[in-house]
Amino acid sequence: MKVMVCLKQVPHQDAKLDISGDETWIKEDNVKFEINSYDTYALEEALQIKDADAETEVVVVSIGPDRVTQALRTALGMGADRAVHINDADADASDTLGAAKVLAAVAKEESPDLVFTGLMADDTNFSALPPMLAELIDVPSATGVLTTELTDGNLRVERELEGGEREVADLPTPALAAVQTGANQVRYASLKGIMQAKKKPVDVKTAVDLGLEGQVGAGAAKVKIDRIYSPPKAEGAEILEGATGDVVNSLLAKIKELGLL
Amino acid sequence: MGTILIVTEIQGGKIREASQELVAIASGLGGDVKSVVIGSGVGDLASEFASKGGGETYVADDAALANYSVDAYNKVIRAAAETSGADLILVSNTPQGWDVAPRLAAGLDAGFVSDCFSIAADGDGYQFKRRVFNGKLDAELSSSGGTVVATVQPGATEPAEGGAAGSTTDLSVDLSGARAKFVELKAAEATGVDLTKADIIVSGGRGVGDPEKFPEVIQPLADVLGGAMGASRPVVDAGWLPHPYQVGSSGQVVSPKLYIACGISGAIQHLVGMKGSNYIVAINKDPDAPIFEVADIGVVADLFEIVPALTEAISAAKGG
Repeated sequence: MKVMVCLKQVPHQDAKLDISGDETWIKEDNVKFEINSYDTYALEEALQIKDADAETEVVVVSIGPDRVTQALRTALGMGADRAVHINDADADASDTLGAAKVLAAVAKEESPDLVFTGLMADDTNFSALPPMLAELIDVPSATGVLTTELTDGNLRVERELEGGEREVADLPTPALAAVQTGANQVRYASLKGIMQAKKKPVDVKTAVDLGLEGQVGAGAAKVKIDRIYSPPKAEGAEILEGATGDVVNSLLAKIKELGLL
Repeated sequence: MGTILIVTEIQGGKIREASQELVAIASGLGGDVKSVVIGSGVGDLASEFASKGGGETYVADDAALANYSVDAYNKVIRAAAETSGADLILVSNTPQGWDVAPRLAAGLDAGFVSDCFSIAADGDGYQFKRRVFNGKLDAELSSSGGTVVATVQPGATEPAEGGAAGSTTDLSVDLSGARAKFVELKAAEATGVDLTKADIIVSGGRGVGDPEKFPEVIQPLADVLGGAMGASRPVVDAGWLPHPYQVGSSGQVVSPKLYIACGISGAIQHLVGMKGSNYIVAINKDPDAPIFEVADIGVVADLFEIVPALTEAISAAKGG
């Protein structure tokens, strides 16, 4: 049993975001990076399958520059067996479909039984990559997955719908699941795990290695980000300032005005 | 201007209002509007949609389509896309939409943009606006021609009924080869916590910092106001409070008289759950938190300074 887990390294959720000079992204210089929160739940789901069956191999894959090594080592420290790092400026500059093509090429080499990844990335929030990847490698998929149950040749999933409702679906394997946050409780890497991670293999590849020369990168992108900007502030929000006592008095007055006291 | 294909969605035996929002966008963009309706026994729904701006409405009516399933629905939408010759395919960004639309795009080797709140024609292609970084920033994206699949944020546009009368066309699709199978729907668990009935809700987010602070700091404010306590998704994901407390698109959608958000940044799926509140107070240390966009009053401060002091002031005002 082989589970391929696709991870993305993203700016830390509490990072202060400054728009880049060309206004097409944020400045990455002084930003701390972490594994995309949604992907941590996907990795945990894969590691729980490995807990249940030690023969399972968990391979983590990520596209990005040198700093991505850190994210992959963290994942290896949590219990993944092996990592593949696509370190290629073209792959990194791709649109989502381009990134999906890169990961599809890795999947074709790996032939996993399961592909797990997070529902969306905390930076772009596109929630596009998982189903695209599934389509390219021609396997059934499910998004917003909260539970997985693996039986012989089948992955039964519960998908999150609106208002707490769930849809139960069967996906014959090989299959892909895009995992939702809260699906499980993500483990921390143990000290032993972190030490062992240093010896686990990290294969570094480029788009050319994967036979994708010319097919990915900014030039091949069908959609591009033209501009990133701060949303215009809504007129309505009145910001209360000053000493705590004054703020509290204003709030109290408002609550009375609303007839709620 | 080319052809736009609207992918409708059926929920509770009716076409969702979100599909009528797609009509508003499509008719605003101009061009030839077509639609697709998918399900079992949906002929009447399709005729009605065609008469409300759906244009030429393809009907895929099959017992096997009674419930959403990704492979079967993807085959149908793909067939509709190819038959219609659409260069823009609109899908609502719902759990169904975000499940199938990216697959459709990859299969068509098309451009893809998700959760747009605005779409405009732009030369040979389109310009899209959407939120990024969990609602903290906005982004403009463009396609330069070729087919694009776009999912649209439900509720971002007023629904509309288009002008011209449409027509329905049967769409017959070979569904053999669909691998994913729908098994069943599981209703949300019934619990004692019904936030939809509360007049006042005090919610805590990740900024509350740790689970004990909910009963220590957030609940007392809710109690003194005679209201209910709620939470944002990250709080529930972390296991600090159980799911029934979650306010948001995948939890409870509330519209109380007063909503006080403490340490909640305001990611879209949370805003969807509470922006209908009559009056919103937001308390957050981060002046750029998106929650301030929907708040009536914002307090940029440490919630541990404000909330206990507010609780005490209210208690004193009540003579307690």
